[in-house]
This record gives sequence, structure tokens and C-alpha cells, in this order.
Amino acid sequence: MFYAWWDWRFLFLLIGCSLLNYFLGIGIAKSNNEQHKRFLLWMGVLQGLGCLLFFKYYNFFIKSFISAVAAFNIKPDIHTLNIILPLGISFYTFKTLSYLLDIKSGKIKPTYDWVVFFSYIAFFPCVLSGPIDRPKTLIPQLEKKREFDYNQASDGMRQILWGLFKKIVIADNCASFADPIFAHYSTLPASSLLFGAFLFTIQVYADFSGYSDMAIGLSSLLGFKINLNFDSPFFAQNIADFWRRWHISLTSWLTDYIFTPLSIYFRDYGKAGLILAILLNFTLIGIWHGANWTFVLFGFINGLYFIPLILRGTINKKKKADKDGLLPSLSVFLNIAATFLLVMFTFVLFRADSVSQAFDYYRRLFSMSIFSSFEVTEKVNAITTLIAIFIMLAAEWLQRAKEHPLQIDFIKGFALRATIYFALIGYILSFSAIKNADFIYFKF
Amino acid sequence: MKRPINKFILKTLLFIIPVFVFFEVLFRLGFYPVITNSTFFDVKMLTVQKQHVKNVKLLAIGSSVALYELDSKIITHNFNMPYYNFASWGLQITDTRVLLNSFVKSYHPKYVVLCSSFGDFIAPQNDTYLNYTSASDLIKDKFPELFYFKNYNSIYRVIRRKIQEYPPEADNWGGALLRVKKKGLNNDKLNKHDIFPTKYTPSNYAALVSLSASLKAQNVKLIFVEVPVKASYANTDRAKQILQAHFNKCEAIVERHGGLYLNYYNTTFFTDSLFLDQVHLQAAGAMILTREIVGDLKKVIH
Repeated sequence: MFYAWWDWRFLFLLIGCSLLNYFLGIGIAKSNNEQHKRFLLWMGVLQGLGCLLFFKYYNFFIKSFISAVAAFNIKPDIHTLNIILPLGISFYTFKTLSYLLDIKSGKIKPTYDWVVFFSYIAFFPCVLSGPIDRPKTLIPQLEKKREFDYNQASDGMRQILWGLFKKIVIADNCASFADPIFAHYSTLPASSLLFGAFLFTIQVYADFSGYSDMAIGLSSLLGFKINLNFDSPFFAQNIADFWRRWHISLTSWLTDYIFTPLSIYFRDYGKAGLILAILLNFTLIGIWHGANWTFVLFGFINGLYFIPLILRGTINKKKKADKDGLLPSLSVFLNIAATFLLVMFTFVLFRADSVSQAFDYYRRLFSMSIFSSFEVTEKVNAITTLIAIFIMLAAEWLQRAKEHPLQIDFIKGFALRATIYFALIGYILSFSAIKNADFIYFKF
Repeated sequence: MKRPINKFILKTLLFIIPVFVFFEVLFRLGFYPVITNSTFFDVKMLTVQKQHVKNVKLLAIGSSVALYELDSKIITHNFNMPYYNFASWGLQITDTRVLLNSFVKSYHPKYVVLCSSFGDFIAPQNDTYLNYTSASDLIKDKFPELFYFKNYNSIYRVIRRKIQEYPPEADNWGGALLRVKKKGLNNDKLNKHDIFPTKYTPSNYAALVSLSASLKAQNVKLIFVEVPVKASYANTDRAKQILQAHFNKCEAIVERHGGLYLNYYNTTFFTDSLFLDQVHLQAAGAMILTREIVGDLKKVIH
């Protein structure tokens, strides 16, 4: 019902995929023949990736092929199709794939209850935009009888409130400033472009992590425990740390099913093999986001950022900031700021319509007008948005050991906790954006 | 198991109820919800709800020319039937069509007086009126406070709108008369010529066709009133030709669908001194025009 409410036409695809993978899972588990198992697994993989490639990447590949051969004066008689991307296909395809791969590797047993399996694929808080929950964690929860847990439900409500604050106050307001900057970047000074890139980076985070918070909070209300999707990524001290904290459900999925097998495959090549595995993995992360060369490059550049860490042998070395400190030390702060700048730089590619537009943006960004002032039209909105960003970052820093900043049970008085909740509700009601932007990750 | 649920529901209500109470207080203090991007229309619709306007047999509609050029007292004095003027600033014919679809269902008029000038045929449709027309009667008639949630806008915007944009009040029948002292006003602005026709003119003609057909199908008599325009607007042969072509087009559309077309474009009768700007008559002019309209309407309204 929930999925059909968004677009009923793709309900048939969702049901079809679920039905096929339900039987394939049982088939893989029941079969004693390794070849037969592999055949069934490949059927599932081909179906999942086939649908994903067709719906999401067909036109991209065709357009890229046509432009590539045009360089040799060849005009092939192939055309793009008018394809509408089914909602959440990137998310539920990864769920079906991990289900089959985990059964094949013996990590999990298939579920014979079709209601449980269909609920796992179309679990409504997460079906449109993740988190990509694993069968190992979600299916057992779907199978057992749940009882209402007051603490879990209250925590869910608080997380929804925090997600709402991030989405409609921060992300949507950032969009109202960043969108016109990116639309008219060629007429604006570099200082404006820097502001635009900063706001867009914050927007992507607040938008997607806000959505994830609401999805996880809603799941908690229903009695489900969903894994964290963002772990204060803007406090990461290097790029590896950042990607361990950003869109965790996707990066851990790719680590398990792509990066780890690749790094094993290339292990004989030492550091060069690891670099190759990382570059492939991150290019895939990029292209997962969308069928555009901007995303490919976004992933690839993020992969390149890993090279110094690999060469220095510090890629797996987790830098831990002081868990209790009120303020970060200078070195931690500089690491955090440098990582943020690196990430912000690539998010220009994420936002641009084309690679050439992104490079033009970079070219204009690195000019002397970076020191010039710029006009902001909606001054009150700009100030309240910047204050909201500060509140978000400060709260996430102070509560960095918690799953979300509103886990404030350490404050003993209910009145004080209630004041904090009401203050946040008041801020949301007072300064939410005039125009609600669509969730960025819905289109992925 | 029941107790934790009750506790949870109670605590949730503890946070939700004050929000609803707050919005109710805001409403009662006159900080109305933002329904469309026309402040005047929003305030007018909430006034209509407060006045419990029902069964309007004679319904006037249109843009600011309909608002300012129909004297409510003259009309109600001459016609013994419920009357209301739903005109609002900036309505294009495309918007009027959307609103009339809703108003005819709600108020069951017998006659619709659509006062118009060429300026109602120059801009694109304003989709925000759909926020109002798509709302249920329960919200429109009983709980307009729910517009705060149906079409959410921040409290900051609601307050800013009240402080910066609230329009003058209309009379009890939704009309208003212009009594503006020209001294100190920007003459260039007042004499500014709106460009006509524009790329949006055809869609407004199309809206007039569907509006006329729709009213005819519902057995409602359309009376299309072409309001006067200042002589200086059409001061070239080309401008006169364009204006005449527009009159002919509107007349043909309205009469083809059984409506009554009345044209008061007469630069010798409605002299420049009666106007505030190119199309808006001051109170004295509006009273003259209304008497003329009433005289003609008496031939069809019994």
C-alpha cells in the first residue's frame, strides 16, 4: 500500500522480484548440488542487476556508447528509451542480492514464511531510500513476535524529531540557497560558490541522514532495531574514517560483497592491488548514486583520496577523537576540517549536471573573487539556517558516543528534557523551509 | 503490556496537544495560515468562512477590477438575492476557472458576474489556488486552522506575512472601493502599460471557453463584464485594434456558450479623471459603472 501510494506501476516489479528471490532462496538452501546452487544464485544476481542496469543505467550506457563511437564518425542506429526509474530499486535490489549471497555462503537460512520475506524486501520505513538492512538482522526480527517496548518507542520518537529537524529545517533551507547558486554559478563570485558548495554538502548530509533517522525511528516505533546509517561523518579525521561513517549500510554492503572479494583477488599485488580494489569499489559507490559521469568521477576521486592512506599504511588505523571532550584538540579539529574540505570538493561533482559544469564550477571557485563579499536575499532565513547547522553539529559532537543526539536520558529532570524537545519542535515549526524539497536519495 | 502503551500515548499527546493549541491561538490572533501565494485571497476566504456565507445567488468574481469596480451597496440595494464578491487581486482567467469550479459547487449561484479587463489574460495560472480548492469542505467551512498543516508554512512566514503584506479590509459583501489620493504617488507606475497580448493569453482564452461551457452545463448564467480602460492606454491605432480584437474574442466565446457579454469600454463616458491607473476606477467611477451594470442586469435578472 505504502509503495503503491508513491507509484503503483512499479508494485508489480517489486512483487515479481520478491517472489522470484523468495523461491530462489529456498532453492539454494535445499539444493545439495553446488553447481545447481550457483546456477540459482546467478539467476537471482542476473535478475537483480539486470533490472537495475535496465531501469537505471540503460540510457546512460547508450548515450555514452553513442558519444564514444561518435569520435570515430560512427552513428549507430540505437536509441535511448523513455524509462522511469522505479522507486527504491537500488535499495531493494541490494537487499535481494545480500539475501541470496548470504544463503549461498551459509551465513543465513532462508525464510519459508513468504509474508516475512516480502516484509523484509518492502519494509516500509526503508523501502524507498534505505538503510539497506541485512537479512541477518531484519528477518529474525520479522519472524519473532514483538512486544511494545516503551523505551524503544520513545527513542524512536526522539529520533524522528531529530530527523525532521535535519530534513525540513536544515536540508530544505540549505537547498533554497544552494539551488540558485548552482543554477547561476557562472554569474557569481567564488565566495558565493564556496558558500553554495558548503551548503550543498550540509544539505546532502541533513537530507539523507534526516531521512535515515526518521526511517530508523519509525522502525523503532514498530519494535524493530535498524542499524545506524550515519555516524557523525563530518567529525571523521580522514577519508577512510569518513566512509566508515557515511551511508554505512551501503558502504558495509559493498565492503562485504565487492571490496573484500576484490582485495582477496588482488592480494598478490600488494598495495597496488589494494588501490585497485578501492578504486573499483568507490567507482561502484559513485555509479550506484546515479547514471551520470559526475557520479562515476565522484566515486573515483573519493577512491583516489585513499591512496596516501594506503601508501602510509594507515587506512585501517582508526583515529579516535576524545569521546568525552567538550572541544576537539587542535590537531583533531584540523583533521576534521581538512576531511570536510576534501569531501565538499567532491560534492560539487555530486550536484553538478555534467562533468564540464563541475569543472567550470571548480575553475570559478579558485579565483580571486573568493575574497569578495556576496549578497544573501533572505537574511533571516540564512541566519536561522546557519544557527540550525551549528545546533546540529554541536549536538552531534557533544552526543557523538550516542546513536542520535536526542538520547538525553542522562538529564534526570523530565521538565528539562521536555524543554529541549519543545525548543526543537518550536524551531522546526518556526523556521522550516518554505518549499519542501524532495529527498535527494529518492532518485537513487 | 497495556500500561507502557498508555504511558507512551499520553506522553506523545503531551507534546502534540500544545502544538495544536498554539496554532489555534495563532489563528484567533489573526495570523492566518498561508494557503495560496495571494495574501488577499487567503484572508478573503477565511473571512467568507467566518461570515458563514452560503447560497450566493449572485456571485461576482474576477481580479482587482471586479473587487474595486462593483459597489456592493448599489448591487444589494437593487437585487433582492444573496450576493457576494469573491474577486481577488491578480486573478487570471485560468485561476478564475479553477476557483469557479469550486465556488459553484459550494455556493450554488444562479448568476456569475465576471468582471474582466485585458490584464486578466496576460499571466500563467497560479497553481497555489489548488491548495484551497483541493481542500475538503470540512477544512474550508469548519476547521480552516487545519490549513496550517495541510499546506505547512513556517510560523516565521505566517507572522511576516501578517506584518508586511496584509491587505485592506473588504466590505461585508467582499467588495471594496478605491479612494486613493493620487498626490505623492508614482505617476510612471500608475500610467504603466501592461503588455498585451502575451504568450499566456491563449491559455486564458481557453480557460474562458471551458469556464463558459462549464457554467452553461450547470445551468448558471455567465455575465461577462468588460470594464472600462483609460483612454491613454489605447492611444495608437495598433493598440485600439488589439483591444477591439480582444473584445470580439471574449464576446464570441461568452455568447457562444449562452452567456451575456457587456462591454463598458467608453473613453468619453469614463473619462481619465475617474481612473486611478490604466484600468482601475476610483470610487466615483466604480459607482457610475455599477449603476450602468445594474441597469443592464435588470433586463436579465428577475
